[in-house]
Amino acid sequence: MGRRKSSAASGLAALCALCVVSLVLFTVYVKEGDCSVQGECGPLHTVQLGAAEVLQPVRGVVGALFSPIRETADRVGHAFDNSEEEQLRVRVRDTEALAAQASRLERENERLRGLLNGQRVAYEYGPLARVVAPVGDQFTERIVINVGTEDRIKDNQPVVVGENTLVGRTTDVSRNTAQVLLLTDRMFAAGVRIVPPAEFDPASDEISSAVTAENVPYGQGMLKTSLEGYLGVDYVNRGLRTEEGDYVVTSGRAGGRDLLDPPGLYVGSVESVTSQDIDQFKKIVVDPAMNANDLEDVRVIVGWAGQEG
Amino acid sequence: MVEQASVVRASVVVAVAVLLEAVLGPYLTLGYVSPKFALIGVVFAVSPLRDLQAILLGFFGGILLDSLGSGLFGVGALAGLAAATLASRVGAVQRRGTERVHLAQVVAVSVLAYDLLGWLARTLAGLGSPPFAEYAVAGILPDALLNAALAYLVGGWLLKLVNPKKTTWEST
Repeated sequence: MGRRKSSAASGLAALCALCVVSLVLFTVYVKEGDCSVQGECGPLHTVQLGAAEVLQPVRGVVGALFSPIRETADRVGHAFDNSEEEQLRVRVRDTEALAAQASRLERENERLRGLLNGQRVAYEYGPLARVVAPVGDQFTERIVINVGTEDRIKDNQPVVVGENTLVGRTTDVSRNTAQVLLLTDRMFAAGVRIVPPAEFDPASDEISSAVTAENVPYGQGMLKTSLEGYLGVDYVNRGLRTEEGDYVVTSGRAGGRDLLDPPGLYVGSVESVTSQDIDQFKKIVVDPAMNANDLEDVRVIVGWAGQEG
Repeated sequence: MVEQASVVRASVVVAVAVLLEAVLGPYLTLGYVSPKFALIGVVFAVSPLRDLQAILLGFFGGILLDSLGSGLFGVGALAGLAAATLASRVGAVQRRGTERVHLAQVVAVSVLAYDLLGWLARTLAGLGSPPFAEYAVAGILPDALLNAALAYLVGGWLLKLVNPKKTTWEST
């Protein structure tokens, strides 16, 4: 009995001590360098980066195993949904995707020809990166890609699929891996403009000067996933033009300052716009162009024409 | 009838459960709900252990979960501690034959604590977190229920795994 009491007492003492240690660890983690600046990586963040690097092969294998299961689940989902309207919508979407892909391939061809001829392109891409696996928890939406500091990848660089469809931004970059904070994550924010379809072609990486110029009448605001869970554009004045079906593209500059993303990256289209007399800003919901479940290969934009620093 | 519990065996169960959660968890997350393999592993693995062993295993299991994940460090450790403390207390008083039910309830409470701690930690750290009422209804409650059901389903097998067979002189 005495031994049992002693075990219970030492257990209680250990419980209190370890609770304090846990709280200290939490405080240190929040206060230490989060690796977003070169050379400022705290020990706990370093541990997580190391673990991500070690787990990458396992995650790759599991990702490959889960890929057919996901595809099958998608097919089963489509098979049960046999409404004609939905089928037509899917067909239109597929056709649009094929057209966009054809256009992208054409432009890719032109870009490669341009590279061969020594011409300068708007964006400088890192190597093609494979999506290894999703990571994170119930609060975050992130993926791991198989490029890192050895491929000139740094924190806070935009990640795109195709030529210019924004996926997210790099974070927690280690030697051979990087996490991508998806644009649907609550922590993601970007300066965007809302442009009418006539001014922008999503399949193109060219953007007219009318869209990027300062003081244009198009809606400008901050792209962010709201606490309610929808992707929207905040702080768009009621007086500015914004309509359903308009395209949302990154603005690149705001208030005379460069933002983290280059101008002209395609985010998605406006799904709905509402405004009330008592509100100064519109409520805009965005349908993102990227689908996290369909991502296979992405590219990190490591530089672009006109970038400061 | 003193049951021998292998600390090494329990540690391996916790480590495998944490690894499973780190690798498979993101694929099985649906909204705010996801299987908490690590907590289930901790609860069932430490239940036959003594207090101090249980608490240490819960803490280090939580630290491992924090290291392999990308969440806030310390949350997993605290949740592991809570789960291990509850499981070891329940393990000390339970009757034979009802362990699985009791430990499934411990899993539910531990998941509840983990979700609450996660939400509180994100709020304290200034990261985006959903409104509490929405999170409690759509996240914490279904998460706790789902994991309790999962724990009940795999509990029998886990208990057999962490409790080695009795030696012949104990059975007589």
